[in-house]
Parts: sequence; structure tokens; C-alpha cells
Amino acid sequence: MINREKLMYPFYCMFHPFDGFYEIRHRDKGSVPVALLLVFLFGLSYSLNRRYAGFVVNYINPRTVDSRREVLGIFFAVLLLACSNWSITSLMEGEGRFKDIIIVLGYSMLPMVLTFVPATVISWFVAQNEEGLYYLLINVSVIFTVILAIIGIMTIHNYSFGKTVITLILSFIALLIIIFIILLLLYLLQQVYTFLYSLYTEIILKL
Amino acid sequence: MMRKIWVITAIILITVSECVPALAVSSVPYHTYNYDYWGYIYYTPAAYIPAGNVSGTGAGSGPFNNPQDIFVADDRRIYVADTGNNRIVVLNERMKLERIIDSFENSGKTDAFNAPHGIFVTSDNKLYIADTNNFRIVVLNEDGTLNRIISNPTSEVLPEDFVFAPLKVVTDYAERVYVVAKNMFQGIMAFDENGNFTGFIGTIKVTISTYEKIWRRFSTKKQREKQIQFIPTEFTGLDIDDDGFVYATNIDADGKQSVRKLNPKGQDVIKKSTRNVTGEIPLSGDMYWRLSGDYSGASRIVDVVYRGSGIYSILDFTRGRIFTYDDEGNLLYIFGGRGSQEGTFKNPVAIEADGDRILVLDSYRGEIMTFVETRYGNLINEAVKLRYDGDEASAVELWKQVLELDSNYELAYVGIGKSYLAAGENKKAMEYFRLGMDREYYSIAYKRYRDDILEDNLGYIFTGIVVLVLARFVFSLVRKIKAANGRKRAVT
Repeated sequence: MINREKLMYPFYCMFHPFDGFYEIRHRDKGSVPVALLLVFLFGLSYSLNRRYAGFVVNYINPRTVDSRREVLGIFFAVLLLACSNWSITSLMEGEGRFKDIIIVLGYSMLPMVLTFVPATVISWFVAQNEEGLYYLLINVSVIFTVILAIIGIMTIHNYSFGKTVITLILSFIALLIIIFIILLLLYLLQQVYTFLYSLYTEIILKL
Repeated sequence: MMRKIWVITAIILITVSECVPALAVSSVPYHTYNYDYWGYIYYTPAAYIPAGNVSGTGAGSGPFNNPQDIFVADDRRIYVADTGNNRIVVLNERMKLERIIDSFENSGKTDAFNAPHGIFVTSDNKLYIADTNNFRIVVLNEDGTLNRIISNPTSEVLPEDFVFAPLKVVTDYAERVYVVAKNMFQGIMAFDENGNFTGFIGTIKVTISTYEKIWRRFSTKKQREKQIQFIPTEFTGLDIDDDGFVYATNIDADGKQSVRKLNPKGQDVIKKSTRNVTGEIPLSGDMYWRLSGDYSGASRIVDVVYRGSGIYSILDFTRGRIFTYDDEGNLLYIFGGRGSQEGTFKNPVAIEADGDRILVLDSYRGEIMTFVETRYGNLINEAVKLRYDGDEASAVELWKQVLELDSNYELAYVGIGKSYLAAGENKKAMEYFRLGMDREYYSIAYKRYRDDILEDNLGYIFTGIVVLVLARFVFSLVRKIKAANGRKRAVT
């Protein structure tokens, strides 16, 4: 169940990543719903930033922003990353469960969730040559998130740093393979569909 | 029966009335469009519309045969290099024949041209003719007598077997001559006033991508011989402004920069606009093109005309379009197209301007196509001219009228924004600069706006700070007293 402690736990993880992620794996301090909530919040703040960042820093064509698609895309990316990492680490003596990976990925997004909206607000009040603070906030939070994610993956699988990097590279390759298989599957399904459809039209026309 | 007729009439009326505006829009035989800040194509009103063609027969000189160049002199006479007929045809400003130059007196003998490809006329009506297949440049006085001949340039930098076949020629106020020659990839050849070769200007450096470098490293010597040679691109057309800056076009398969403005030292000083999300507006015509099939590939820019006040137009052979830029490198308007209707081209080879008119020479048809500006084109031209002269205040009225015709015209928003900025209406200026996608001026307007707000509310801000400081002081005082009391109590 989600209670106050579980809700506040990502903040503890942010500043004590080694202890925090260790307890997620071994004392079930984490929560998948909270992690998914964080992913959703990140998707939202990311999309808000793209659409509403100030004119001086915003190089995104508003006509290309589609919040629904961006949020879903980030969910999909997290799912893909988790799948590929899980499929590699379960072969390489990783101790983490699938739900731990999801929780790590979700919780490590907290810095970005916290900074994207304030950074967007700051960007309304800057002129050219003053964007430094805005970019500093964004970049620091992104780097923070990456570091958190790496530490988290390392801790939950009980890996050394070197092994984490190797598994991450392998996960990336696995990710490409998964995407390839998905595309292949879609293509084959389409073939089957067209075949059945042509069969159907044939029968309809012959009758 | 009666009802049926009524219904049919109604349907016809509705369809026809739907069609009428569409017809009005497509009254020119080409698309008129422009690119916005995001690189999206948007359709604009026509800036120029066709105003008739003149063939050699129509002008009274007999048909042109593969003419390659056209020049409008300061006295508005039009000179056509009628290459296939080995002659220069001179027309008056109403496009009627004035005279034909097909021979001249050269040291006592009659001499003629052989496939003249280029023509240039100075302000005192001296003719510079690129007499290609005679490998020389012929300079004639106004009365048709020979002034001088430039041929056989000699220099250490020229290869031994170099054949000087000039294609285009221009000359500046000091009678220095700049020539584009056939198979000369090193740049534009420059000659001094005595006709001595002085060197190349505007040499385009060859750039080889990393991918190509790696690919070449892995290929054998035999393969390398078969690959495309990396030679600089050739120049295609020339024009010169009153200050002696040479405008030169070149072929660029990447569609990045096809026009250069060379200063007398030979350096490219053309300005590129950053009003584009990808960084720079390419000075090369179209930004997108098909990769194969008809009309595919980057724009092949074959000629340029400098039209005063920093405005220049370049001519695209691939799709027959004319792209006009201002001195800041902004694409002002696009018109023209290939086809067989009136106002479209088969083989456009040269472009010239005669006041507000634009003349394009079509070598296949042997015709000169004329275009005249519309109100839309006129407003843009005049506004850019005023801006170039530094009179942005009077340009505002014109920009406003441009926006009435084309509310997507970003330069107009910037122009109006500047006037609001000068008038101190910073909030309005910000809005207009945002619509014109100009971050630099937006920042200036925003800073002023922010300063104004700060200034107006300075009293409140200071009061706030004083209140905060006082509150903190009082708070710490209270705590101290409390602590002192506590201590007293503990002692007693």
C-alpha cells in the first residue's frame, strides 16, 4: 500500500542512493505505483517544458508538441529499458527483480521532476545571455538522474561498477533487438491481416 | 422537374462559387511560397507576375539561337549575348531592336565573335564580351570600335596547357575585370586595368567529410581512381554592385551556399541570416528537394542579379525559381517555375533587373521573360530599401500593409517590433518580436520591460526588504529575551 513513508522514500533515495536502493531490494521499501507516478510526472513536466518554456530558450516548434504521445513515449521507454536490463541481468547473476528495476528507473527521475517545472518558470524571466541558470538546472538534474540510475542498477543487482557498465551496454544492444523484434512482429501481423483481408474480399466477390 | 432544375442550379452555383477564390490564387503558373522560422513551407501571395515574353523575332532581330547572357545597362538598353548566332543584340527599354553587333574592326581587319557566352556593359557604355570560342575577352567602345582584347593570361599558377575560355565577365569602377572561365575550378580570374592576370578570387575550399576520408582510406588505389574527384565547384554567374563587390553564384550540391559576395580582396563577405531553427538560412534556393526523378536535387543556381539596397535575386536552373534575398540573408520571396506555360521556363540561364522589372533569359526558347512586381512584392522591396537606408520608422507603414496581405511574414513583425521598441512600447515590441521569431531583439525589449517594472515598483520592493529585515531583528530580539528569562529562571 502507498503510505506517507513510501511516498517520501524517493527523496531519501535521492540523497542516500546506496542505502536507499539497497533497502528497496532487500527490505521492500520501494513501491511500483510511486515509481510509475514519478514516471508520469516526469513525462508531464518534460512536455510542459517543451511547450511552455520561455521564448528565449524554447527552440521547439509548438506544432510538434503532443503531450499525450510524449507521456506515453516515456512510459514505453522506461518499460523497454527495464525489459532489456532485466533480460540481461537475469542472465548475468543480477539479484534485482523486474519490479526493482522499474522502481530504480522511476525513483531516479525525481531530480528531473523537481527541476523541470521551476526551470520552465525561470525561463520566462530570462533574456539572452541570462539563460545560464535555466540550462544549469536542466543539465544538473539530467546528470543527477543518470548517476542515480547507474547507482541504483548497481546496488539492486549487487554488481561492481565495471560490471554495471558492461550490462548497461549489453542492455542497450538488447533494447535494439527488442525493437527489431517488435517491428518484425508488427510487419508479419500486417502481412497476415492483408492475407486474411484479401481472402475475405475474394470470397465476397466470388459469392 | 422544376424542382430538380433548381437543385442542380443551386449545386452548380455552390461549386462555382467555391472555385472562384481558388482560381484567383492560382492565376500565376507557379507556386509562390516561402519558408518560416521552423523551415515549414507556407504559401504567399505572388511577389512577381509574368508580363510577357520577347523572342528574337518579336524584337526584330531574327530568332535567338541558344542565347546565354543578358545585361541591362544603366541607360536601360538590353544587351543579349546571342551565342548560337555569334552576335550581340542590343534592344531598347521597350524591347525593340536597336542594333546588332556581329563584327568589329581589329587592326585593319574585320573580326567576328565565336559563341560569345557573356556580356557586360559599363556605365560609360563600354562593352565587355566573353568571346568564348575565340578564347578572349573583347572590349568595344560605345561606337563599336575596338578598345582592347584580353587573352592568353600567363601566370605561374596557371597550368601549361590551360585554355582561356571565358564564360561570364564583369568589370568594376576601376576597370578591373573578373572572369568565370570554362573548366577553371580555382576561382574567379581577376585581371587588372591593363588586362594582366592578377590571380584568383573567391576560391571555394574543398571540404571532405570524415566518412569520405575513412572510406578512401579503406579503398585500394584502383578504386580511388574510379571514385569522384574532389574538385572545387565551379562558378556560374557574376554581377557587381556600385562599390565593387562581386556577386558570384556557384553550384552547391548540398544546397548550403550558392552565392557569394566577394570584396576586392577576394574574400566572401556575404551575410547569412540566423532566422531559422536549424541555425542558418541557406543561401541556395530551396531548402528541401526530391532525391530522384524529375526536378530533383538541390537548386542549381546559375545566375545572380544585384538589385540595389542589398537585395539580390538568384536563378535556379533545376526548378526554374527565382529566390530573392536581402542584405541580411533573409529569403524575401520566391517565384517562377519550369514548364511550357507563359511565365515559366525551359532552360533559364541568366537573370537581370531593369528597375522594378525582372528579366530572365531562356536559352532553349530563345526568349526574354519579363516579370513585374505586384503590390505585395513592391511593399516588401520598398520596406527593405527603407530599412537598408536606416529609415525603419517609415518602413513600419509598409510592413503593416505586408501583414495585411500575408500574416505569416516574419520580417514584417520584426520591422514593426523595432518601431515599438524605439517608441518605448516594450510590451508590444516583445509580442511582435516573438511573432517574428527574433530572440535577440526580444531580449532587448524584455530587458527594458523588466527594468521598467522594477523601477515602477522599487518603492514596494525596498519597503518589503526593510520589513523583512526588521521582522528578523525583532524575532531574534524576542528569542534573546526569552532565552535570558529562561536562564534567569534556571539561576533562581
